[in-house]
Amino acid sequence: MGGLLMRLVLAGLVGCLSPGVAGGEARVLSWQVADAGREAFSRPLADLTEAERERFFRGRSLFNQSWVVAPAKDDRLDGLGPLYNRLACVSCHARNGRGLPPEGQGERMQSMLLRLSVAGVGSHGGARAHPVYGEQFNEEAIPGVTPEGRAELRWIEVRRRLPDGSLVSLRRPRLSFPELGYGAMGPVRISPRVGQQVVGMGLLDAVSDATLEALAAEAKPDGVKGRVNRIGSEPPELGRFGHKANMSSLRAQIAGAFLGDLGITSTLHPQENCTPAQAACRRAPRGGEPELDDAQLDDVEFYLAHLAVPARRDMRAPQVRQGESLFAAAGCVTCHRPALRTGDSSRFPRLAGLDIAPYTDLLIHDMGPGLSDGRPDFQASGREWRTPPLWGIGLTRRITERERYLHDGRARNLTEAILWHGGEAAAARRRFEALARPRREALVAFLESL
Amino acid sequence: MAQRLQPARRAFIRQAGALAAAGASAPLWAATRRDVVVLTAYPDAVVSRFEAAFEKAWPRYRLRVVWRMPHDALPYLRQPGQGGVDVYWSASPRTYVQLKAEKALRKLPVGLAGLPGRVGGSVIDDPDGYFAASEVAGYGFAVNPAYLAREGLPVPADWTDLARPAFAGHLLVPDPVEVGFAPVLVDIPLQAYGWDKGWALWSAIVANARFVGRGGNFVSDEIDGGRSGVGLSIDFFVAAAIANGAPLDFVYPRQGGVNPAHVAVMAGSPNPAGAKAFVEFILSEGGQRILAHPDIRKLPVRPSVYAGLPSGYHNPFAVAEQGGYRYDNGRGRGRAAPVAAAFGQVFVQPRERLAGLWRRLRAADTATWSKAWPLLTAPPCAEAEVDDAAVQQAFFARRDDPAAEARARALELDWAARAQARYARAEALLGGA
Repeated sequence: MGGLLMRLVLAGLVGCLSPGVAGGEARVLSWQVADAGREAFSRPLADLTEAERERFFRGRSLFNQSWVVAPAKDDRLDGLGPLYNRLACVSCHARNGRGLPPEGQGERMQSMLLRLSVAGVGSHGGARAHPVYGEQFNEEAIPGVTPEGRAELRWIEVRRRLPDGSLVSLRRPRLSFPELGYGAMGPVRISPRVGQQVVGMGLLDAVSDATLEALAAEAKPDGVKGRVNRIGSEPPELGRFGHKANMSSLRAQIAGAFLGDLGITSTLHPQENCTPAQAACRRAPRGGEPELDDAQLDDVEFYLAHLAVPARRDMRAPQVRQGESLFAAAGCVTCHRPALRTGDSSRFPRLAGLDIAPYTDLLIHDMGPGLSDGRPDFQASGREWRTPPLWGIGLTRRITERERYLHDGRARNLTEAILWHGGEAAAARRRFEALARPRREALVAFLESL
Repeated sequence: MAQRLQPARRAFIRQAGALAAAGASAPLWAATRRDVVVLTAYPDAVVSRFEAAFEKAWPRYRLRVVWRMPHDALPYLRQPGQGGVDVYWSASPRTYVQLKAEKALRKLPVGLAGLPGRVGGSVIDDPDGYFAASEVAGYGFAVNPAYLAREGLPVPADWTDLARPAFAGHLLVPDPVEVGFAPVLVDIPLQAYGWDKGWALWSAIVANARFVGRGGNFVSDEIDGGRSGVGLSIDFFVAAAIANGAPLDFVYPRQGGVNPAHVAVMAGSPNPAGAKAFVEFILSEGGQRILAHPDIRKLPVRPSVYAGLPSGYHNPFAVAEQGGYRYDNGRGRGRAAPVAAAFGQVFVQPRERLAGLWRRLRAADTATWSKAWPLLTAPPCAEAEVDDAAVQQAFFARRDDPAAEARARALELDWAARAQARYARAEALLGGA
């Protein structure tokens, strides 16, 4: 461990890892909420005005709202589909937490979806949509429209022995399509994704482009590179959201999910998600032009931008403190950055100029072949994934009722998630593997304090 | 009507990614799986859990959920072929009665053994067997104990406690015109205390309260946030918040009432076997236990389930056995809409005026008080008026029928005018305008 401690000292990281600690005492910062219960991902920032609270709750209602088939009396809430995955945003982000993959044979994907593409680049510069099934496999459709089918996921167990002799079992997904509504897919690239937790997104949205560029330009140890996923071309925007950072802003992420997951159009995506081969889909009635108006999009954006991040727990517990040091010493902090500063957010001024602890650099990194989905997305290759924020991760079990991590939910606990790290993260993973079990447990205890 | 998906069992997908190997042979059930189309207004927290559990119990069926608010369900189900719907599953008693009257339902294809069909004074299953209760919800008071302790207020036990002047500024009441569960809430004291005393009680309660509408915040948000000490609510919103850690209590008043949700099979169900399976599942021990999930917290209709529920879980059947829950939901179902509308006219719209009058009334001498009190507490109309079938139909149909809307609106204006005249006379007595 002497070498590890030396790395800590050299990196100057000890003592600057925890913005929630001042003078050794835990305090709740303006962007945090002291709640470790199942509502911890659902709290507004504490200092919202009365008008802002009203707006927050309006956005929450829309996020939780099940959308209806058009036409309907609820003309503000109609326009579901024609093709869609689930009825509501919250379906994939229950209690604003992570989605879960199917566990058993025949179980439907309730909070998981499949991204689809074919070889080549689409007109927008990103992945080229499948000509028949589009960019996302929609298992549901409104009456009168044929759903795209049903995917089934099975898990393949893979055993790995750690240096101390411990045997761990990892699992990887295997997909099949027992039902297809529009014929065989032919050559296709498929990427299974579970919903991500949605707290702190406004803060990440407020991190400036310059900060991302500077993070990408930094020299990093262990062969870690990290780069910005550039989206579009005139001029390119910097990706921040999505498992591959293929969305440049919170607003774009919301509008993209409304279209892809619910089939709800917006001014950002005015066309329904029907391919030329899906005639009934193209003929289906619409719920407005667009279906989600700008005021509604504003409210949802405000809601997600102003969800507070749960404050850390157990920060002074010896095991947690030890784990925090080990997390840094193993090199995890190279990508899972414990400290970022938000820029001058023009949309939501109260989110500007804050020191935050998201444990992400928002950059995409080569995570090795084990996690590759073989599906490039803008500049991200199949092996590259955005560093996911870790704030709130320790509440996953409580909020989601099961622990499932990584883009497809394959990891059943935090140790499994770490052991899947490869590519640029391989050196950090090997250091973790080399730790004695109590030290590995300490590192996990630290993660559970986030 | 939903097209049934044709399985493409021989589909072969060449998977470019490292993870997926699509096109594996389909399991046997995939070729025979059929849709069960369910029309509902339940939120995702309910739907997703029943969906997962039902499909696990019945892998040959796939649930397809069509979502419609209760007031929008009838037009959908009146479509040709009833929109392809197999099962209607929602908390909208009046809609079920209407569907039955239109012969849009078939008799339930399941036995109802172990389901009492009533809670105290409320009949929750259709006596003719066309629909059955799938859960019930109670009404009461969400309480923030820390808030009440800070303000030196007692925990209210019954409606009359809320009328005490000490609660002025500390109550939250859902607006029954905007909040779907609230009309029954309004009707419970009207039945429990009688029409005249009930309205008088409401007047005093409203004077202490502010209203919450449908802006998106809930009573539980406001009470949990310490913005009020007591909030009137249907139970499950608050019970779920408590189950998930909110430092609140929920008080079921001695004069309580329940509102059932129901399940029914449509007469034109394209998949009656699947519909039967779903209804059986909803009413089964396993299905009923799902209602106790911390994110749902509704009250099962199968009494045997309560023995396995968390300690302290409210059991309305046990309360009814002790003489509680005398509320007549059959009577309330018809008049809920006009009662809510009247409440809106005489209390919600002039709330500030009414609160000011009550402040002055409470400070008035006995002689003035005895003259002014009746003016603030008189019912908006005779009870017979809201019990009149034609009046009830006008309010029920007002969204769809212009003539019904005109009739309902005329009644509202009349009630409002009468109330305003009383309030004006009270102002003359009490001072201030």
